[in-house]
Amino acid sequence: MDILLTLILLLPLAGGVINACFGNRMPRPAPVFIASGAVIGSFLACLGSFTVAAGEGYRLVLFTWLKSGDFQADIGLLYDPLAAIMALMVTGVASLIHLYAAGYMEDDPDQVRFFALLNLFVFAMLTIVLADNLLLLFLGWEGVGFCSYGLIGFWYRKTENADAGRKAFIVTRTGDLFFTVALLWLFAIFGTVSIEGINAGVADLDLTTATVISLLLLFGACGKSAQVPLMSWLPDAMAGPTPVSALIHAATMVTAGVYLLCRLFPLVSLSPLALAVIALIGIATAFYAATCALAQNEIKRVLAYSTMSQVGYMFLAVGLGSVSAAMFHLLTHAFFKALLFMTAGCLINLAGHENDIRRMGGMRQRSPLVFWLFIAGLLCLAGAPLTSGFFSKDLILATAFAHGDPFHLGLYGLGVATAALTSLYCFRLAYLVFAGDFRGEELPHEPNSLMLWPLYPLAIIGLGAGLLNLPHLFAGGSWLSGWLDRSQDVLHLSLNTEYLLIAAAVAVFVLGWLVAGLRYRKYTEHQPSLVSRFLLSGWRVDNVFDVLLVQPFRNIGRFCSQGVEIGLIEGILNGAARGCTDLGSRLRGFADGKVSAYLQGLVWGFVLIIGWFLLRALI
Amino acid sequence: MIVPMEHLLILATLLFALGLGCVLVRRNLIMILIGVEIMINSVGLVLVGASAFWQQVDGQIMVLILMAITAAEVAIGLALVVYLHQQKKSIDVGIFDEMRG
Repeated sequence: MDILLTLILLLPLAGGVINACFGNRMPRPAPVFIASGAVIGSFLACLGSFTVAAGEGYRLVLFTWLKSGDFQADIGLLYDPLAAIMALMVTGVASLIHLYAAGYMEDDPDQVRFFALLNLFVFAMLTIVLADNLLLLFLGWEGVGFCSYGLIGFWYRKTENADAGRKAFIVTRTGDLFFTVALLWLFAIFGTVSIEGINAGVADLDLTTATVISLLLLFGACGKSAQVPLMSWLPDAMAGPTPVSALIHAATMVTAGVYLLCRLFPLVSLSPLALAVIALIGIATAFYAATCALAQNEIKRVLAYSTMSQVGYMFLAVGLGSVSAAMFHLLTHAFFKALLFMTAGCLINLAGHENDIRRMGGMRQRSPLVFWLFIAGLLCLAGAPLTSGFFSKDLILATAFAHGDPFHLGLYGLGVATAALTSLYCFRLAYLVFAGDFRGEELPHEPNSLMLWPLYPLAIIGLGAGLLNLPHLFAGGSWLSGWLDRSQDVLHLSLNTEYLLIAAAVAVFVLGWLVAGLRYRKYTEHQPSLVSRFLLSGWRVDNVFDVLLVQPFRNIGRFCSQGVEIGLIEGILNGAARGCTDLGSRLRGFADGKVSAYLQGLVWGFVLIIGWFLLRALI
Repeated sequence: MIVPMEHLLILATLLFALGLGCVLVRRNLIMILIGVEIMINSVGLVLVGASAFWQQVDGQIMVLILMAITAAEVAIGLALVVYLHQQKKSIDVGIFDEMRG
């Protein structure tokens, strides 16, 4: 069993390292086989060891990583139900995406670098998932950040791609700073960084400290998960290749923040204030991103904003105190969003490498198969009844409703409004892409079969993942809540309330569909209004950051470089150097090469010395 | 001692000053060398005089050594002068200013 658990981590690492070191010397398909094989092997290892995680979980220490005084950090795995289900999802989705990427990147000259980074990413993500202490978790946390940076800017020859990579890295690093502070603080209090140790000791933590640490952790999570206010990197991250968007910026890395909060939930849940802030940030992001998604023109940017919005729902669920609702939505979202992104990659190919949905249209005729796959993903995202997205989103909203006080009812109201917006932008996307006739000029570029067949399992799982945590109303047993040992997350509402909530969810879904149908069924070219331009630019958040942070930072930088560095420091150094040169050229006049002058100097010096001694002798 | 010590010292000082003046003023390399010789000989005069004054033989030994060294010095100095003359067809000291800064 220990070997299986070790293999989960080791295989992607080995695949990444082998590809990075020797990939370029191998014949062409070999790196792809190594990369995909490593991840699939890791998936099988997860599957094989899944049952060990039940109940208390399984702890495996491979070796001690750091030891200094009281401080000890192990390379250790904590394979509890939460980690097991997350690891299974990560490796499963990653396996399918690797296969898809094998087709997608078939002709790319830098294929080897791509697969090495992708494998290293999976390794880093699994480190986050399985780590038994916060320091190791942090190692993975930075690892996914680095791999994400390398993969967003994968086609680095175009400046905007490289810029997007840098932006993602810098913004997420801002969040990481808060996480680091929280980590050190937790060590200062508990004297250990082990997750079990911290969660066991939280009972005697005072409320203020717990609140502050939770908020710091929340901020760290916000950076990785693209939540308000550190969200502006995610839409730009779509500059990367589509498999990267699917794996990193939809299914796994952006959910790392949610996972972190779930992992440390005993700590976070101590403070009602922190929970309220988490819920508020979640719902604010969900709403903000849904409005932005309404006006986007690029298919992947719509999906990016929808990811942000759905991760906002997960934060909301954590803020409501329901770990299983958050994890449920995390899992279903991972499946259908990976499906959506990969299908979007096929659509972009079919439209002749055209991203812009205004220049798509009529894609249904080009490939009915891709149409049905994309619609399956969209239905889940929009929360169509009986799809996985419907159940998971409904559980979050119902949990908010079940709290009953005005604050949570307000959250519920905003959540429902966001669900309506979600349905609206999903069907806007569907109508713009599939209805009418093709509006672009490009010829289709058929996706190869390797890109298509990983989509079927994802579509099936995406549609059916609701079974994981089917509520009692639908004759389900809430398996996920039971598996996570969170029976308190199972709602016990009256039958009428349940029907009412479901009716509301269905109503907003239909409402969004109808509005989208009325507005976008027939495509008309029109000048974007002021509001839609505002939404297109993401509420001008980038401009605000530019004015508030980037410009002042540039100015400080300019002051430091031109005022302090060039003016002061170089002034002093140059002045000293110039003084020495001047003195030297003046002294040079004395050495005129005339022997008689030297001799005169010698004599005068001698006279002076003699005179000095005579003077001393006389006085 | 027939000649009083004071006279001897005055003569030696005068010789020394004449030699020094020659070294400083003349531009001909050979004349400078001669000036140096005069200065050395004035020193030798003092050594001999002092040796006679204190009835000690050390000063005279010193003068013998001085003569030997002077002979060597003149030989080398004149060789250098010949070499310099070959270089520039002149022994004017002002021409040799390659060490100018």
